[in-house]
Amino acid sequence: MASVKLTNVKKIYDKNVVAVHDFNLEIKDKEFVVFVGPSGCGKSTTLRMIAGLEEISDGTVEIDGEVVNDLQPKDRGIAMVFQNYALYPHMSVYDNIAFSLRLKKLPEDQIYERVTNAAEILGITEYLMRKPRALSGGQRQRVAIGRAMVRDSKVFLMDEPLSNLDAKLRNQMRAEIILLRQKLDTTFIYVTHDQTEAMTLADRIVIMKDGFIMQVGTPDEVFDMPDNLFVAEFIGAPKMNIIKTKLLEENGKYYVTPFGAKIEVDGDKGKALADRKVKSGDVLLGVRPEHIELAKAAAPHAIPCKLVVDEMMGSELHLHVDTEDGNRLIVRVPTLDLDKEQRKALVTGAQLYITFEGKAMHLFDPESEKNLLA
Amino acid sequence: MSKNENTSKRHMGIKAANRLSNGFIYALLVIISVIWLIPFVFILLQSFRVESTNQVGYVIPRQWGLQNYKNLWTSDFKRWYLNTFIISLASAVLVTVIQLCMSYTLSRFRFKLRGPLMRFMLILGMFPGMLTMIILYRVLADLGLTQANAVPGLILVGFASSGMGYYVSKGFFDTIPKSLDEAARVDGATRLQVLYKIILPLAKPIVIYTILTAFMGPWGDYVFARYVAFGTSAGYNVAVGMYSWLTNDQINNWYTTFCAGGVIVAVPVTILFLCLQKYYVEGVTGGAVKG
Repeated sequence: MASVKLTNVKKIYDKNVVAVHDFNLEIKDKEFVVFVGPSGCGKSTTLRMIAGLEEISDGTVEIDGEVVNDLQPKDRGIAMVFQNYALYPHMSVYDNIAFSLRLKKLPEDQIYERVTNAAEILGITEYLMRKPRALSGGQRQRVAIGRAMVRDSKVFLMDEPLSNLDAKLRNQMRAEIILLRQKLDTTFIYVTHDQTEAMTLADRIVIMKDGFIMQVGTPDEVFDMPDNLFVAEFIGAPKMNIIKTKLLEENGKYYVTPFGAKIEVDGDKGKALADRKVKSGDVLLGVRPEHIELAKAAAPHAIPCKLVVDEMMGSELHLHVDTEDGNRLIVRVPTLDLDKEQRKALVTGAQLYITFEGKAMHLFDPESEKNLLA
Repeated sequence: MSKNENTSKRHMGIKAANRLSNGFIYALLVIISVIWLIPFVFILLQSFRVESTNQVGYVIPRQWGLQNYKNLWTSDFKRWYLNTFIISLASAVLVTVIQLCMSYTLSRFRFKLRGPLMRFMLILGMFPGMLTMIILYRVLADLGLTQANAVPGLILVGFASSGMGYYVSKGFFDTIPKSLDEAARVDGATRLQVLYKIILPLAKPIVIYTILTAFMGPWGDYVFARYVAFGTSAGYNVAVGMYSWLTNDQINNWYTTFCAGGVIVAVPVTILFLCLQKYYVEGVTGGAVKG
């Protein structure tokens, strides 16, 4: 159990390729932090620098108050789970899990106790004598987690541990990681490119792009108040609809005018705009698909559009619609909200009307792409 | 129905054609094997011929016996055999250690001039070893490692440049995922422990291949061994020593003993190969394709 502190950490390859720029972050003891971002954003590199598998070009990494820049991975008090499991193919599951304990020269009876204990928690007791190649992907990943568990380390690092699993297994393992976290009660740093994993697992999410941190916050914070356009589009699935439009200020009230409609930015957001004395001008309007509703033609501010693609996801429908000026939007409609007639009417080419509320809107500066309210 | 008949006829045709071509291939292979085995059988039979020691015009001995093998025991052969064995064993150990360490280093570490070094060694390795013979002899002579001291000299020559043969095993190591090294290092292993606890067990075929080739090279060496021993029987290896029995004035005294020596020389190599051939084939082809 330990805190981790990164101060101005940089990774520069071959003297000019910068993979990570000035990374600053303080991870509290027992916190579960997720690094998320598209491939090449530097999240794995950062994790590997914490692990000691990658040299730190500049800055310091502290674990439990001690600068570990020049320590070998084994001396940093960390355990790591790799994306491709990295099980030793020539050893049985038992030997895989026992490997680090044997290197520490622990007595065999203690090793036995720890390995069987971990195996029990992970439900792999019956496979202990098998070789990794005789295991399924999910079982292998459990072994990899077991190997990390027995080390009693201060920080638990996971590098995309679920991305080699199929979708169903991934959901199951995700829940198990949450349970594991409760049992181990230690500091976790978890890397993924999957925003769902990030949202469900994290205490705090670090969203990265091109080696920069775009935002650090709790899942609620990054979802409700994304700092910038990138975070807004990255978090949430399907991604947020972005509409180029204008912001109008009239007598202290703010309106946006997408597709000829005029919708008031009301509630806290309107107040916040007024407090900041934001001026009229171009704006990027973001609305999450789940915050758009189907409306009757007569509804005020209803925006007419045509249905292009209709994706049935089970509990909900994802409707891809084109507005009259050719913008493609995605609308998420819970299936339960539709009666049979309405469902039938949703065929390609159908005329629809959509609407959304002022409080659901996110506003970004078109130049800096920063959230006007953040 | 006629369609079915046609299909089955066609199937029969394919089967028959397959059988015919297989038969042909097997016949060819049998012929090649027989041709290949003739010299071995010939030498084996001659080694048991005791009615005379000179070359004769027939293959099957008229009198059988072990006299030729006994002759080996009383001649210098013992010494030569021991010399060869020492050189081969030392080379097998030293070359294997150096070559595997070199390969692991080149496969896993990134350091300045790594690329140029690899290319340099590859190009250097393309020059035939013969070119270096004269200068190597001079160096060995200055070190006092020729003639009676040929054994340490030959060992030195054998392993001195062995790191340059990194290519096959480096290729094999490259196919072992790096994350295994990383996992082991996080688990607390040093680089050396990673090599012998993780990499080498996984690279067993290539280790055995390296040992075999390192052993075989000096075992059959003739040209350089003769050059370094330079007429001193105490420094001969088997190939050089036994060849001295084949000179015009010696051949009729030693011919059958020579054949017996040939059989004895083949024994350890044959045993090695029989035990390790499975790995040898894997080793030769294993590094080629990432699987």
